[in-house]
Amino acid sequence: MRRTEGLPSYPRRERLPAIHLTLAQLTDQLVNGITLGMLYILVALGLNIILGLMGVINFSHGSFFMLGAYLMYQFNGLIGFWPAILLAAVLVGLLGMAFESVLVRPLYRRIPEYTLLLTFGTALIFAQIVRRVWGDDAVRVDTPPYIPDSINIAGLAFPFYKDVFLVLLTVVILAGVWLLLNKTNIGIIIRAGTRDAEMVKILGINMPLMFTVVFGLGSLMAGLAGALAAPIYAIQPSLASEWIVLTFVIVIVGGIGSFWGAIVGGLLIGILTSLMALLWPPAVEMTGYFIMGIILLVRPRGLFGVEGLFE
Amino acid sequence: MTPPNRARRLLLHPLLWTALLFLALPWTAGSDPFHGQWSGFVGIATTMVIFALFASGFNLLFGHVGELSFGHAMFFTLGAYATALYANGFNVTVLGAVLAHGKGDNMLVALALSLLLALLWAWLLARIIIPRSSGIYFSMITLAFAQIVFFTTYRWSDLTGGEDGLQNVARPTLFGADVLRDSDHFYWFAALCVFVALCVLYWILASPFGSVLHAIRENKQRARFLGYDVDKYRVNAFVLSAVFPAIAGWLWTYFQQAINPDAGSVEYSGNVVMMSLLGGMQTFMGPLLGASVYYELQNEVSQATKYWEAWIGVVFVVFVLAGPRGIMGIIDDVRTNGVAAILRNPFKREEPVEPTFDEALKPLDESPAVSETGVR
Repeated sequence: MRRTEGLPSYPRRERLPAIHLTLAQLTDQLVNGITLGMLYILVALGLNIILGLMGVINFSHGSFFMLGAYLMYQFNGLIGFWPAILLAAVLVGLLGMAFESVLVRPLYRRIPEYTLLLTFGTALIFAQIVRRVWGDDAVRVDTPPYIPDSINIAGLAFPFYKDVFLVLLTVVILAGVWLLLNKTNIGIIIRAGTRDAEMVKILGINMPLMFTVVFGLGSLMAGLAGALAAPIYAIQPSLASEWIVLTFVIVIVGGIGSFWGAIVGGLLIGILTSLMALLWPPAVEMTGYFIMGIILLVRPRGLFGVEGLFE
Repeated sequence: MTPPNRARRLLLHPLLWTALLFLALPWTAGSDPFHGQWSGFVGIATTMVIFALFASGFNLLFGHVGELSFGHAMFFTLGAYATALYANGFNVTVLGAVLAHGKGDNMLVALALSLLLALLWAWLLARIIIPRSSGIYFSMITLAFAQIVFFTTYRWSDLTGGEDGLQNVARPTLFGADVLRDSDHFYWFAALCVFVALCVLYWILASPFGSVLHAIRENKQRARFLGYDVDKYRVNAFVLSAVFPAIAGWLWTYFQQAINPDAGSVEYSGNVVMMSLLGGMQTFMGPLLGASVYYELQNEVSQATKYWEAWIGVVFVVFVLAGPRGIMGIIDDVRTNGVAAILRNPFKREEPVEPTFDEALKPLDESPAVSETGVR
């Protein structure tokens, strides 16, 4: 299996000395990195909320991302571009809720490693189901014709959907998630539960239901990221395993259970990975892991992490 | 009538059963020595014993210290590449300096190089990771560090051959005799090497050092209170558990006569996790049985469907949910309760004997959180 194919397609430039970089190239890669980072944030934030509240580390999270992209591809031809994105995200969210209540729930009594093992097994199953249904070859989704190809900002041309629309939409979504977490009752329960799930249960909250809802929400975010990424990247079965490891890295860099950690971690890794494509292309895939190594040496719990959570 | 205690202990000794398993594997894999047909599918048996060692080394950390590493394939791939590079030779320029080496045929030197490389990397990682993490955090971090090794083998084409890897690795000569070219001979060679390594592993686990590891698995804090330097023991266990995958990688390169970056991928790391759990993770025999069952399953299912991984995933998920003690757990149940009791009540809830070293996440629908005397 070729593992690099599904990686975000950085422009494969010749190796250039740093002095030859033009401002245009730099801006180009910077914007590329922000787009990439925004998608990372969506996926990592979903994983992080689940991890923070429930202590469940979901290896199938990457599969949900991949399923979002494939479902978007499937429905795009049937019901149009925008409804397809919405439907794909909602379906993945529902799948996540079913997944939690049927498979993950029996494991809360055990140590958290078991959920990692379980979701690793289900990730294998999801990958094979996807191969069976949509085949081994990559599929593509085109943006609808009324979306302009590129837009000029300050004399530079940017791909409209990828670099402008997607980034703005993600900012709106993240603002929505922030409001949900900070200004609603559900958000207060989630944040309190992250600190002490048992105490919240004593206060009369139906925690099993909350767990299902939060798992669904996290999965929905992964599915939405997948659906939004569908027009940008080649959609193929190896998508899941590539994204899940980087998502783990972002969670480690940002800190388990932290909203701002996921955002800073996602942007940091997205941007630096893109810039690495200019500086030293062979090391592109490794950028995130090196950042993780450095962060781990300096701040073992991640940038925004709290000591003693899930250890 | 039960045999005397001493004889009984000898009969139930895991190393005896390991030896029997290795003797039996070529038969299960399809060859039939009684009719002069040795070759059969002995390659599958060789794969089984090599992965038995790989999984056992991984299980030293997972089953006996309670730390789930999701990146053990990095030691396997380091051992494998060290061997292939030694055997094939290389010629690269690093920062202006030319590193070159001709072909090598001494397999003991290859083994030493594999071990050296894996030990250095494991020691470096252990110093970084162990004091800073445990639990699921540890799993994620080992997975990420394994990716560094994977992408190095993938991208450093000058040295590692990139995606295609290194091919045409010659089988080594055994003290000058060219006998390992034959796959049967190689099976017995690999089985012998693995058996010796497993004896060392058994000795480690049965030593006082092994007992401390078990104590750490059961309760880290109590082990610390007893005066053991827990982190030091975990570092040592981590480094030791890297040794066996490196030996397995050494055998793997000579067996396959080629190596590619896949050997260090997430899939390989995950496979040994699955083998350990399928076999029974807190036992010595578990990973050995798990590796055999895994490849037997793969062999059978992949003939029926090209989506065989899904079925392995289903078997794995069923074991995680219903029988986390694995095949050894089932054997144990049968031995303690008898077949009749198991058949009478086959869906008895199997309570796993496992540590609960994460006190932060209590079961939600069990035991009132408020005691008689007030909030705990």
